[in-house]
Amino acid sequence: MEKQLLRFNVNDQEYELFINPKTLLVEALRDHLGFAGTKRGCDTASCGVCTVMVNGMAVKGCSVLAVQVNGMNITTVEGLEKDGKLDPVQAAFLDEGAYQCGFCTSGMIMSARAFLNETPAPKDAMEIRRGIEGNLCRCTGYNSIVRAIDAVAKGKYREGA
Amino acid sequence: MIHDFTYLRPGNVKEALAMLAQHRDGAKIICGGQSLLIIMRQGLVVTEYLIDIKGLDELNTLTYEPRAGLKIGATTTHRTIEKSLLIKEKYPVLAAMEEKLASIQVRNWGTIGGNLAHADAAGDPAPVLIALNAAVTIASSAGVRSVPLEEFYPGLFETVLSPDELVTEVLVPPPPAHTATVYQKFNLLESDQGIVAVAVSLSVGDKGVCRDARVVLGNAAPIPMRVKNTERLLIGSKLNEEIFAKAGDTAAEEADPVADIHASEDYRRHLIAALTKRMTKEAWEQACQA
Amino acid sequence: MTANKYSVLNTRVHNVDGYAKVTGRATYTFDVKLPGMLYGKILRSPHPHARIISIDPTEALKLPGVKAVVTGKDTLGVKQGIWRRYPELCDEQILTIEKVRYIGEPVAAVAAITEEIAEQALDLIDVLYEVLPFVDDPMEAIKKEAPMIHEGVERNVNVTRHIEWGDVEEAFEEAEYVREDWFKLGGQAHMCMETRATVASYTSDKKLTVYTSTQSPYYHQALLAGVLGLRESDIRVIAHYVGGGFGGKFELDASQFCASVLSMKLSKPVKIVFTREEDFIATKRRTPMFYYVRTGVKKDGTFCAREARVFTNGGAYTGMGATALYLTGFFHSFPYKWKAYRYDGYRVYTNSLPSSSMRGFGAPQAMFCSEQQIDWIAADLGLDMIEIRRKNAHTTGYEVPGQATIGSCGLGQCLDRIEEWIKARGTLPKNRAIGISAAGFMTGGIFNWFDSPYSFSSAVVTINYDGVVELHVGAQDIGQGSNTTLAMICAEALGVKLENIKVHSGDTDHCPADLGAWGSRQTLMAGNAVKMAAEDAKKQLLEFASAKFGYNIIYDLDIKDNWVHNVARPERGMHYADLVKEALRGKDGQRIIGRGHYTPHRKGMISPAYSYMVQAVEAEIDAETGKLSIIHCTTAHDCGQPINTLGLIGQLEGAASMAVGYGCLENMPVEDGKVMNPNLVDYKIIRAPNMPECEIIEIDTFEPEGPYGAKEAGEGLTNPTAAALGNAIFHATGLRMKQAPIMPEMIVNAFKEKKKEGGTP
Repeated sequence: MEKQLLRFNVNDQEYELFINPKTLLVEALRDHLGFAGTKRGCDTASCGVCTVMVNGMAVKGCSVLAVQVNGMNITTVEGLEKDGKLDPVQAAFLDEGAYQCGFCTSGMIMSARAFLNETPAPKDAMEIRRGIEGNLCRCTGYNSIVRAIDAVAKGKYREGA
Repeated sequence: MIHDFTYLRPGNVKEALAMLAQHRDGAKIICGGQSLLIIMRQGLVVTEYLIDIKGLDELNTLTYEPRAGLKIGATTTHRTIEKSLLIKEKYPVLAAMEEKLASIQVRNWGTIGGNLAHADAAGDPAPVLIALNAAVTIASSAGVRSVPLEEFYPGLFETVLSPDELVTEVLVPPPPAHTATVYQKFNLLESDQGIVAVAVSLSVGDKGVCRDARVVLGNAAPIPMRVKNTERLLIGSKLNEEIFAKAGDTAAEEADPVADIHASEDYRRHLIAALTKRMTKEAWEQACQA
Repeated sequence: MTANKYSVLNTRVHNVDGYAKVTGRATYTFDVKLPGMLYGKILRSPHPHARIISIDPTEALKLPGVKAVVTGKDTLGVKQGIWRRYPELCDEQILTIEKVRYIGEPVAAVAAITEEIAEQALDLIDVLYEVLPFVDDPMEAIKKEAPMIHEGVERNVNVTRHIEWGDVEEAFEEAEYVREDWFKLGGQAHMCMETRATVASYTSDKKLTVYTSTQSPYYHQALLAGVLGLRESDIRVIAHYVGGGFGGKFELDASQFCASVLSMKLSKPVKIVFTREEDFIATKRRTPMFYYVRTGVKKDGTFCAREARVFTNGGAYTGMGATALYLTGFFHSFPYKWKAYRYDGYRVYTNSLPSSSMRGFGAPQAMFCSEQQIDWIAADLGLDMIEIRRKNAHTTGYEVPGQATIGSCGLGQCLDRIEEWIKARGTLPKNRAIGISAAGFMTGGIFNWFDSPYSFSSAVVTINYDGVVELHVGAQDIGQGSNTTLAMICAEALGVKLENIKVHSGDTDHCPADLGAWGSRQTLMAGNAVKMAAEDAKKQLLEFASAKFGYNIIYDLDIKDNWVHNVARPERGMHYADLVKEALRGKDGQRIIGRGHYTPHRKGMISPAYSYMVQAVEAEIDAETGKLSIIHCTTAHDCGQPINTLGLIGQLEGAASMAVGYGCLENMPVEDGKVMNPNLVDYKIIRAPNMPECEIIEIDTFEPEGPYGAKEAGEGLTNPTAAALGNAIFHATGLRMKQAPIMPEMIVNAFKEKKKEGGTP
């Protein structure tokens, strides 16, 4: 087995790793770079707690080989806060209590952020629900999360709002 | 745990095919890996070489020509297909199917080529594409061949691919006139794989008679299954409620479903009957308006 | 809704740990990394019942990177259990020595330098089993000829429970209509987002630090002491953030035990994290049950007699199963006044994964049977489904004979509000109907079968020079928001703003003992302790204020919104933080410390208070395929005084999602002792698009036992949903569904049966 060189950008910072090519993206992020916000919760790529953004797309970190994101931009939950200011999705989650145990929250926020980036004006609640369909939550029943995303979509967290 | 492998990243299709020709059974292709990585993590797939074609932009294409029809490169993601305005216009059933496939995360990274090559009889794309009379282009360093998708699966989780071959694109003929294709899967949760699934394509001919029918079942047999008796029942008639119901019963009879924890064989047949009845009706109503 | 008279209570606030959670900074056991840490993996039995002849770790130990292999023989072999008062129910060795009793039971554990090597090592441990006949059906296990699973336990019945009042036979004679039904209730997996996880670090000064995903750091400290032969106080349990519990994480599990044993052997930290599959097959589940119910009523709907006989599938070990056995029988009488009632429960060992406690604790199963049967009786007699409940409903002060005294009870109001809501819904489309279920639940179990010598809950309030309050509690936040709820109670009681409160929990070295987050106890019990501590601190502060202000002695002083003032003339006063500074100087630099505790005394055997609710579920049934769509879920809810507003909504919606799962999604078939769907593809957890909109109608009551009148919210709310769903199906289709979860195939088969019997489908 030959290790592979991986050069990628994580949360606006360039990194270089020399890794076993079977390393999953979530392992590169958590174990090699220390970004522990992204979690793992299942063996079948079903739960979504490992969701991160690759070039702005929500993907499951447990189902992507790290070497495949060579040269790409990764965003984890740690990368959402900018200059000490929470991302609107994070602020909305706080306001709506859209988390309980918090273990799914990192992945959920990343899915929500990616969804809103693509669909800033969802036409109804069901579209939002479908936007987070890939993320399981055992605590909240999802409705508070939908309310949080809806609040962002409705402009509650716009600058000067 | 994933077993160690030697990682190969070809720069283009030619290189990929050369690698396949060299390593044959010793190599596996990974593209999006949304199916492959799960079974590799379970230790069910062990390979000496892993050839990564995810980066092959050559195959990341989606084009349409009025004569040739639709061409989708194998490394095109599900999400690209789902969001394509072209697809929504010309083959709305494909967009609708992709919308309910797995999850957004899977669709963002997983590819149509990888999905078809994985050969899961419960997969969504194959029944729909077979209903659309699709074919796959298969390449090797020796040349290129085309195989109708309905002939691509000889058995459960099997394809006709030789160890040195690669699916490079999916071809879908231009939509015939007065034709509608619909798809529905039965599940408890929206984007789960279907306990069973049915794709129906119907064409209306002269005098409002059914000119052509393709009915394909998903997760009702070891492979995506065209139910030819059901199709014969439909062709040549003006379709009505009675025929829709009969089509359902016939499809249920033709199917070869398994029993598992999600459904007994009987219940699967029951669902196939219900779904086929509903989907033939829906396809017919749409086709009559097309 | 009455206007909020409180400054902090029942307001929308950010959870005190919200910032950490939304920024990914919250550190769970899953994230803990210590220097030199090793990774542990557990070898599990492939057989449901077998004798262990020998375990040979030689080959595994040869694998480079493997540091140790332990088996039960390397431990004290203590048979432990959570019912410490009753040694006969402490039946589980965790690393079992003589026999395995379920597929997945731990037989050995490995520590290695990487997780991968530890996993490879498992395949190299050679275990010789003598396979024994097994039995995984309780109705088979109870037969004379069934294999004996635990020595000396005849017929595999390890616990029986009996509840009775009134003269049941006489009451049945008086009844004018009698109905009997049999039900089958499935198990359920907790499916916490964070699987079982532990990092144990033993150091050669004989101290053990255990990071673990737990609902009760104190219980785990005490349980580990018992099985490891260590002094309780030499064990530190840390659980800063826990990824869900739901009743599955307050008993000792293999991650804690094996990691600790390995760490003690190596004096190195060892981390064990269950895979999702391990979490499904080898942790304790909701108790599956067989229920027989016979109910006698008058023609006008007055309840006369009920008799229930229940056999529970206990699985291989007891765990909390004895409590579930009792509570299901107790809550099966809820929330109604029965002239006579008799319950006989039998807990049966089987060779399958142990059954224990899961949110609802036997009550969801009980309500599925009781609330459906009541609707069927009402339908048989042509009675209104609300009226029949109203007629027999619990009221404030009611004595459940020999069992409990009901404190505050808003059930009547709940029924009224749901009745209004249903009327307002109007006529529904075909194949859609509303089903209701009433329920009542305990607010804190009074049981101390754990035999703890400590107060059930304790709290310490320490006020710093800058006015910030360090609140130390043993109550554990597992996502239900107890840190925030308790901070709110502290702030309200002390009279300060919420941002002044810093909560410390989840560390036995720094926090007082508390029984933990189970049995819906923390809001009431820890809340009372916190209120007492805060009021103690406030009293001390006001002594200073009183001396400082020098008012006429008739005047009262108080603190509200950080303002210390004369109650009669509130504009006269001083800022709380300024008072604190003076008080500290006055006490020779000592901070103000308030102490509080709570243990229920003379509150009966079950609970000091009961929450009540009536839930209406609107569902649509596709009669042809049997598919259910849950459209809406409305709950009229009496939890006394709401404390954490957002927390309450979250509990309602979260409980509904879990209970909907129990009602129609989370099928968990176990065949030949094997869990057939130990993964998230085949085990169906509800996802966002399928989750119904939920509505909460708060009922105003005041519970004298609870802090500020508060009662529980969150566990009781899992009770009614499966029953309400069953009733919706009944009203839409006439089908009586006697098995939970209700799967579409069952509905289709029920329609077929009905057609055969000649009924209209």
